[in-house]
Order: sequence, then C-alpha cells, then structure tokens
Amino acid sequence: MNLLIALLSEGANLLWFMIVLPAVVGILVWIFREYHLPRLLLVVSSAMINLVCALSLDQAEGFARSFSFGPCGLELAFRIYEFSALFLTLTAAAFLLVSLYSVVFLQDQKSAGLFMFYMFISLAMINGALLSDNLGVMLFFWEGILCTLFGMLLINNLHQPKTAVRALVLSGTADLLLMLGIIITVVQAGTPKFSEIQRLPITGVSAVGFLCMLLGAVGKAGGMPFHSWIPSAAEDAPTPFMVAFPGALEKLLGIYLSVRIVTDLYDLQPGSGMSTAVMLLGTLTIIGGVAMALIQKDMKRLLSYHAISQVGYMVLGIGTALPVGILGGLFHMLNNAIYKSCLYMTAGSIEKQTGTTDLREFGGLAKRMPLTTACFTLCALAIAGVPPFNGFFSKELVFDAALESNTLFYLGALLGAFMTAVSFLKMGRVAFAGELKLPMGKKTIRETSFGLLLPMGVLAILCLVLGVVNTWPLDQLFGSALGITEVYSGWPHSTMLVVVSLAVLALALVDHIYGCKKTGSALQAADHIYYAAGLKRIYQAAEQGWFDPYRWLVSLAGVFSDFCVLIERQVSWFYDTAAVKVLLGTGDRLQQANDGSLSRYLGAALLGAAGVAVIFIVML
Amino acid sequence: MEQYLLVICIFLPLLGAFLLPAVGKRKAKLRNQMALFLVAATFLCSTFLLPALHSGSPLFLHFELPLGLSFGFYADALAVFMALAASLVATVIVLYSFGYIKEEADQNEYYMMVCLFIGAMMGLVFSTNLIFIYMFWEISAICCWRLIGFYREATTIRRANKAFIITVAGALVMLLGFIGLYGETGTFDLAAMKGIAIPSWVVVLVLFGILSKSATFPLHSWLPDAGVAPTPVSSLLHAAVLVKIGVYVYMRMFVATLQIDEVFTVAVPALAAVSALVSAGAALRANDLKRVVAYSTISQLAFILLGLASGNEIGVVGGMLYILMHSVAKGGLFLCLGIVEHNVGTKDLTKMGGLYRTMPLTAIAFLFCAFSIMGIPPFGGFFAKYLVIAGIVAEGKVLLASFFIIGAVLTVLYLTRLFVKVFLGEATFPQVKEGTPLMVGSALFLAVLSAVLGIGIRVPSGLAALIGRGM
Repeated sequence: MNLLIALLSEGANLLWFMIVLPAVVGILVWIFREYHLPRLLLVVSSAMINLVCALSLDQAEGFARSFSFGPCGLELAFRIYEFSALFLTLTAAAFLLVSLYSVVFLQDQKSAGLFMFYMFISLAMINGALLSDNLGVMLFFWEGILCTLFGMLLINNLHQPKTAVRALVLSGTADLLLMLGIIITVVQAGTPKFSEIQRLPITGVSAVGFLCMLLGAVGKAGGMPFHSWIPSAAEDAPTPFMVAFPGALEKLLGIYLSVRIVTDLYDLQPGSGMSTAVMLLGTLTIIGGVAMALIQKDMKRLLSYHAISQVGYMVLGIGTALPVGILGGLFHMLNNAIYKSCLYMTAGSIEKQTGTTDLREFGGLAKRMPLTTACFTLCALAIAGVPPFNGFFSKELVFDAALESNTLFYLGALLGAFMTAVSFLKMGRVAFAGELKLPMGKKTIRETSFGLLLPMGVLAILCLVLGVVNTWPLDQLFGSALGITEVYSGWPHSTMLVVVSLAVLALALVDHIYGCKKTGSALQAADHIYYAAGLKRIYQAAEQGWFDPYRWLVSLAGVFSDFCVLIERQVSWFYDTAAVKVLLGTGDRLQQANDGSLSRYLGAALLGAAGVAVIFIVML
Repeated sequence: MEQYLLVICIFLPLLGAFLLPAVGKRKAKLRNQMALFLVAATFLCSTFLLPALHSGSPLFLHFELPLGLSFGFYADALAVFMALAASLVATVIVLYSFGYIKEEADQNEYYMMVCLFIGAMMGLVFSTNLIFIYMFWEISAICCWRLIGFYREATTIRRANKAFIITVAGALVMLLGFIGLYGETGTFDLAAMKGIAIPSWVVVLVLFGILSKSATFPLHSWLPDAGVAPTPVSSLLHAAVLVKIGVYVYMRMFVATLQIDEVFTVAVPALAAVSALVSAGAALRANDLKRVVAYSTISQLAFILLGLASGNEIGVVGGMLYILMHSVAKGGLFLCLGIVEHNVGTKDLTKMGGLYRTMPLTAIAFLFCAFSIMGIPPFGGFFAKYLVIAGIVAEGKVLLASFFIIGAVLTVLYLTRLFVKVFLGEATFPQVKEGTPLMVGSALFLAVLSAVLGIGIRVPSGLAALIGRGM
C-alpha cells in the first residue's frame, strides 16, 4: 500500500495502471483460456490488485493529471477526488466478487476465457470512465463498453443473437444521446472538464443537454426507456453476465454519472419542471419494472425486471435534487449492487445444480441448499425493504425525499415497494419452501460449491451489516464525498414513513396469503393482480411487446425507411427513366428537325446568335 | 530536390499505369507486383512529405506555362492527409485484388485503371490550379467508368454509363463555376484566390460537381447502382478515392481558400442531413449486400460534409478524421463483403446467415469495421463522429445535430442488421470456406487499423489539427 501511495506522489503511474492492468490481464486470461487454475489465480489476484490500487487512490489526496490524447480539447485528463475514488473502490470491490463468482461458475465452459477477457476489458473501460475529468474522454471509455457488452451477449448465442442486437441498439442509442448531451454541455460550459464546469442553469439548449445526458446515464444503469434488453438477456446470457452487468457494474457507472450531472454539471432545482420530469421517469421505471416482475415464472427474468425497477428508486431520489434524495439514491445504488448481484448469484447456483431457473420446474430447495437459501433470504429481505437490512434504510431516504417533493411520486414508490415484496414472497416460497421438487431427470442435488458460496455469503452478510451500521456508508462514504453536512444515518427520522412502509410490507404479506389461498399455489400467488380488472389487458399488451422501446424504435425506423425507399425510387426513376426519356426524346426531335430546310437552319443560327449576345450583354 | 517527391507521388502511378498492360501481356505476376509497387511507393513518397510539413515549409512546385498560365503542386497538410489516406487504403486494396481478380479476364485493364485512378487522386489533391484539378477529376471519372463496367454484361455497362454521365455532368457544371470564378478573380490559381469572397451562384455551380462526385442526395443515385463493379473497385470508389474527391474539393475551395456566404453553413449541412437520413433509411431496407454499404457511404459522406461545412475548427478536424476513419473502415467492410460474395456466390442478404462458423476472421474484421463506422470506441470512427457533431453544436445548430444523431442511430441499426444477416443465425452455406490468407489478411489489417487509429488517435489528429489551424 505504501509503495502504491509513493507511486502516486511520483506521478500518474497508478492512474494508467488502473486502465492498463485490466486490459493486459484480459488478454492474458484469453491466452490461458484452456487452463482453469492459472485463470482463477490470475483473475482473483489481478482483481485484488485492482482493489488495492483503488483503495490507495481513495486514501490519497485528490489530484489531477493530463496527457495529450486527442484533438480539440480531447486530452486524457484524469482526476482523483473523493467521489470518483469512492466509485473506483466500489467498482473494484464488486468486480472482485463477481469475477470470482464468474470464473468458478464458468470453469467447465469453453467460453470462460473469452468471457473473462470481456470482463477485464470492461473493467479497464469502467476505470477509465470513472477516472476521466474530460467529458469527451469519459464518453470514449463509457461507450467502449458497448463492444464488450455485445461480445458477452453473443457468447453461446451466435446462432440466435436477438438479445445482443437488442442490447447494442438500445445501449447504442442511449450512448448517442449521451454524446449529444455531453457535446451540448461542453459547448455551453466552454470547457470539456468536469472540474471546471460550474453547475449550468437548466434552460434553453442546456435543458436539452441535461436531458440527453441524464437519459444516457440512466440508460447505462438499466433504467427506462433503454431497459428492455435486460429481461431478454436473462433468458440467454451467461448468468455471471447478469451478476456483473445489470446486477452491479452498469448500475454503479450509470448512477455515478447521474449524480455528477445533478450535483456537478447542472443546477437541478428541487421542485423544478425538470426535477419533476426526472422523478416521473424514476417512478415509471419503478412501477413498470416491478409490475412485470410480479408475473414472471423464471427466477432470472424476475430478477432482471427488479434490476430495472430498482434503478427507478435511484433516479427518483436523485431527481428530487434534495440532499436526502441524492444520498438515498446513492445508498440504494450500493445496496442494490450488493443484493441484486447476490440474488443473481443464488439464481446461478440453482441453475448450476438443477439446470434451470424456471420456477415451474423446481421448488423446496431449502433443505438441500441451505446456504444458498440463507443468502437468498437475506437479500430478499433487503430488497423488499425490511428493517434492519440495508434496502430498508435507502428506500426510506428515497421515500422521504419523494414525499417532500410530490406525494404522487411517494405513492408510486410505495406501490413499487408493495409489488417488490409480493414478488419476492412468491419467488422465495416457490424456490425454497415446501417440499423438494426437482426438474425432470434430476434425482438429487446438493449445495453449490465454496467458490460460488463465498461471494454470495459476503454480499448477503453485507446486506445486514450495511443496514445496521448505515452510518459508515451514509456519513463517511457518500455524505462526505458529496459534502452533505446533514446527518441522515441511523434510524429513519420520520416515524410516520416507517409505519407506512411496514404497513405496506404487511399488506404484501396479506396479499400473498390471499393469492396462495385463491389459487392454491405460491407460484400463482400474484396472478390475481394480473387478472385484476383493467390490468389484464395492460399486461397482455406488455407481454406482446407493446411497451417495449426497442419495438418502438425498430418500428419507427421501419416506417421511416419505407418512406426513404419511396423517395429513393422516385430519384432512381428520374435518372433511369425520366432523364433518359427526355434526352432521347430531345435527340429524336432534333433528328426530325434536321430536314435540310435552309430557313429552319437560319432561324436556329439567329436564335443561337441572340443567345450569345444576351450572355455578352449580361456579362458586360 | 525534395520537391520532386511530389512529382513522383503523382506521376509514378499516373504514368506507370500505362506500362502495366504491356508487362501484363508477358508476365501477369510481374504486372501485379508492379501495380503494388506503384501504389505502395506512392504511399511511401507521401509519408516522406511529412517532415517538410512538420518543419513548417511544405513542399511546393511551380511551373510556368505559355499564354500566362501556370500550374503547381503543393504538399500542405490537407493534401498530404488526403494522399496518405487514399494511398494507404489503395495499397491494401491492390494487395487484396491479387486474390479476388485472379480468375477474371481484362486484368491488364483493371490494374492499369486502378493505378491511373490513384495517380489522378494524387494529382488532384496536390494541384494548385483549378484547371488541373478539373483535368484529374475527369481522369478519375474515366477510370471509374471503366472499373464499374469491368464485367461486360449489359446491366453493368448501363450502370457504369450512369455513373459516368452523372459525375461528368456534375463536373461540367462545376467547370462553369470555375470559369465564373476566373471571371471574378482573374486566376485559376488557388493560392492567388486565398481569402477572396465569391458570389453564391459560383458556389452553387461548383457544388453540383462536388455533390455528384461525393454522391450526396439528390445526385447520389449512381453510387448504389455501382455495386455491379468488382468488390475491390467498390472499395476503391467508396473508401479510398472517388467519393472523397468531392469532399476534398469542398474543403480545398470553400474552407481552405475562398470565402463563401454564411448561408452555405446552413444550406450544406441541411442538405447533408437529408442525404444522411434518406440514405440511412434506404440502407435499412436494402437486401443487396453492396447496396446497403453504398447507402451507408452516402450517409457517412453527409457526416463528412457536415463537419467540413460547420464553419469551425472542431468540425473541420472532425470532418478530416472522418475521411480517414471512413476510408479505412469502409475499405475493410467492402473487402469482407468481397470475400463473402466471392465465396458464397450471391449478394442477397436474405439468402445468407451463419457465416461466422466458416469465416470467423472475416466476421471479426467486418465487426471491427462496422463498429468504427457506427462510431463506437475504441475505434477511430468515434472521434470523428464526436468532433463532427461537436462542430455543428458549437455553431448553435442543435436541431441539425439531432438529425445526425438520428442518422447515427440508423447507422447502428443497418450495420447490425447487415452483420447479423450475413454472419450470425443459422448457417445457410455450411460448405463455404474462409477467403484466401491474403484477402482475409487485407481485411483484418484495415479492421485492426481502425482500432489502432482510435487508440492512437493522437497520430492522425496531429495532422488533422494542422489542417484545422490552417483554416
């Protein structure tokens, strides 16, 4: 550690190291793709070195370094300060756990080397984006993740690439919006540097810049309207991908930028129209995501809708522009990265043991997989917002900010909390409680391996620890990094909010019991919501893809393309038919005129002379 | 003596081209090697022009002619940048042609025209006199006509004629513009015109030539039809030489030399926006491999024009980088499609699929090039797109920038569709094999170069920045 800090004082070696190390390790992992043990050692040791480097930067005094890179102000400007160093550390810690899980999970698969290669290249890009003080260069690293995202989603899916295409198109669109937003911001601010931009007022063109940037950032985090590739990925992407990307890393990156947009780049005023718009986006994401999660029968799909929904809380909190909301959003991001990764990991463990994550095919695993069950339970309690787990405290902060801003958004968030609890009650009971049920052809199963349990256990315990000791993340991590002096740690300040939240949880339990009794099955416990008056049609429309932004985008592009083809045909007709006809017709006419008549020739000559005379007169 | 590097750059391919048929009659292999030498030497000579450029005294040659006329060659940053980009990609294309064209008749004509084409391009970029620019412009049109009509079927000949007639008609209108310019300035020498404001009707006349050569809506119709040419020729037209001539002349005349009315900083980008969107939309519906990429070229040329016409240094630097990155990536894309078409025997997208199984290297090369054109980092296309959009936003034209963002989204859509339809999904041609090592190597070289130019953006951007500063 001391050596690393000493390196810092010498210059910017460590900054480069954070980008170059993962890139080199990625290549090495791919070269040694045939050998599991060297791969495991390389992955874990380099992820740990990355974490140590991040911690070193976190402990160092803030500093900045610039290197010549691109033209027109695109210099490679790195800046370490409390907030970026904190996110580097969080990313490094998350990466250590997810890479350990991934390398163990994929140990028998041929694609393991390639997958880990993509993981490390992504880490290099993420580190680059977090270190960048230049918005354009940050975009370079940020958008570069598209390549690895596409690559990872193509693994084992080269014959059926629909998810990869969907992800590339949606994330690509989000990134292009971000590009426009960044360019507008840079032009308006007159500088490309984060550190030099003084919170721009959100008016006129700047409002467009703000909106484009925020949509791009939220899109990376998996929020609406660029979310619909995530449930699709749950069906065919490798489970470690879900753990790493929609689960943790993309959330960290997306929310990091969202917070910086609101706190550093733009002056988002509480109660302003733009604040309301952002909160609306957050609330719609919460409700839209969780409503779809409620009716899923597959663990990974269900979790992926929650991955979308949980972003809504973060966006809602940040959108309030109140310190308590921003703090709540950030804390929720950390908590979500922890429990969502762990939940995906438990789904992966079950998949590894049973061969499926379809809740219709297995159940009652608690006795055979007690540790996985324990991890799931802790994380489910956290995501449902049960005290004293971490999710409870972050949600309360978001609720607090939402209520202060607009009651409607608070009620929307409460509705989301209700449905979250209902869907986890369903999933938990089906998967772990009751009698053991195994998929066809499977006679027995056992607990998952230590390599998979280790990261799961660490994350599950963290759910409890960060809840009980929330002073540390709230005050010492986020509060300090954002310069928020008010204290929001400890037990929630508003008893009324806590009572309402607990009542919502109780209501969810009642609803679950009612659903079970009505249908006679825990799996269908939420189906009465699906069949409720008015909701069935909406659900059916959603299942048919009517609310899918990807479908909108592709349909719109299709209509536009048809219109362009129409124009194109007319242009081709002009050149291929009309112009040819006119030329040939003129030729024929001239041919006919060439009949030997002297008077006609004289007339033509006079006409020509008159034309030349006119030109001369005009020119003189 | 260094000045004569310029003469070598231009006249080595231009005159050497005429030796190729004679050599080819006796030894085909020697002809191929000689063609490669001519183009590679042109690239090498272009690189030798850099030291003088960086020392601040670009090479310059001037010749007096009878009747008070004169002409000259000038190796400033803009000319050298264009020469390097064109000759580099052309060298790879000639190398690739060894495999692609080896079984065809009329190879002597092919190699002669390719070298002549490069020579004309070199002559055009280094010339300081409008009449010589026009002369080289028309030489390129003749080469283009013969190369598009390389296969002698009736459709091929008709389409070659179409390309020739549209571009030459545009050039004749441009010539009228040049004469008008002479009327205004009393000279054809570009150096003597520096900073002179010219009337808009002259600009409009010259624009006819530029837009027809650079296949900009509505004068673009010949380019999608030119897909009947052999694929290396398509690559040459789209990536290295032909369509870049138009944007180069725009840059040389209306950005680097003359002053034009403010209205053109709106009109040209607006026309470019229409061109970008209409062609991108058409690309999304086309089912012919080469038509998709041809529409893509039209669309991407609009981005270049946008940058150059933005009216500020950022946009100009972006436009110049776009020329380079598009040349490399589009060249690579065509070479990949050439391998596919050559081995599969069809250009119909709907009949293809799953070629990644048998052509993994071609698939990777294609993807890299496609990513660069989409503007995804770390490929070079990212910087070009970013700066072009930044250029237009810096002028306060956010709405126009939004149209180009839509164009960029459509680019992602049509290139992804193309990649998926050709390389992914169920295999429809399981027996097809990967291309020859030389062909695949050429495509991979350009693909990797796209990434190298992105990560090492400092190198090309140094020269582009020099051009920008000179505006």
